[in-house]
Amino acid sequence: MDPYAAIHAELRRCGVTLAATLPDDWVAPLIRRLDADPALRHVPVAREAEAIAICSGAFFGGVQSVAVMGATGLLTCTGELATLNLRHQIPVFCIVSQRGSIDDHRIYQEVQGRRTVPVLQAYDFPHHVIDRPEQIGEIPDAYAACRLQKRPFILFLSRRLLKGVQRG
Amino acid sequence: MKTRECFELLAAERRGALVVCALGMAANEWWAVTESEDTFYMHGAMGFAASFALGLALALPQAPVWLLNSDGSLCMNLGCLITEGGQQPANLRHFVVANRVYQTVGAVPMVGRGAADYALIARGAGIAAARPIADLESLRTALPAISAGPGPQFTVLEVEAEAGFLGTPPMPYEGPEMKYRFGRSVERRFGVKVFGPQGY
Repeated sequence: MDPYAAIHAELRRCGVTLAATLPDDWVAPLIRRLDADPALRHVPVAREAEAIAICSGAFFGGVQSVAVMGATGLLTCTGELATLNLRHQIPVFCIVSQRGSIDDHRIYQEVQGRRTVPVLQAYDFPHHVIDRPEQIGEIPDAYAACRLQKRPFILFLSRRLLKGVQRG
Repeated sequence: MKTRECFELLAAERRGALVVCALGMAANEWWAVTESEDTFYMHGAMGFAASFALGLALALPQAPVWLLNSDGSLCMNLGCLITEGGQQPANLRHFVVANRVYQTVGAVPMVGRGAADYALIARGAGIAAARPIADLESLRTALPAISAGPGPQFTVLEVEAEAGFLGTPPMPYEGPEMKYRFGRSVERRFGVKVFGPQGY
């Protein structure tokens, strides 16, 4: 099954009806799917921290939401995640491409690969990696964990999941 | 006109709108005027009260949402106007307290030094109903139409900068307490479930 279709289906199972997004190339196909979903309000944003704050506001309207972005974008909004979500204990569920992994042969992604998880650990933001298609069904548990922990939760999507095994 | 005078007029015309305040001066002055708990007083994330208010307005289309932004915060997240223009939230009223200084830190000169035309920028971003208002009588006259007209409505309140620090104390509730006060207020007023059966 197309991993993007399966992720979309799991987000529906979570009751997500609002998505705020800014793409990198790995999550762009997911964003196209969300944009085409008539049951979902899609909010394309100009920078990733907008997505964080939009989802935080939507929380108070009783709406389940998701912020979708690349790993580079996640690093740009750590200040807002800390001073809005950590400070007020507002959950925000983020789906993020796991850039800079050992199979992501892009020099401009290697810092993200080395330093993103240590940054999340410094802020005490939980994260989980979806690496194989059979793990996509874990998304509702991750969503519930985000609500329970009342803070940003980062769900990484691996290259292997989205692009398959890289050869050569 | 003074920020406090503007807020007293807004409070009188509010008619039950949920309010989101940018951090610092806007939040402190609104608390001083209203002490309202159906207001989200931003404690951090400077610039992103606008995005928070947009998310709230989209999630709760039956609720009028008023955003009390400031020009310092707006300039930190100007892209919010393009996002707002793209979404066209009918229930959102966006006010910008424009004193052309960073008032909260003692009226320090701010980016652009007062040259920017925020209403023109908003119109360029797709928010057609955008205007500056420079005196209290004009605000009093315009508020009913701003409140009743189709959103988004964008209003720049051209206020006088105060000399130095204002000294208005912030609202006395810490982050999580304010979250629960605001969320429970939304639940009571609009019949939605913000929190789950175990309270989180």
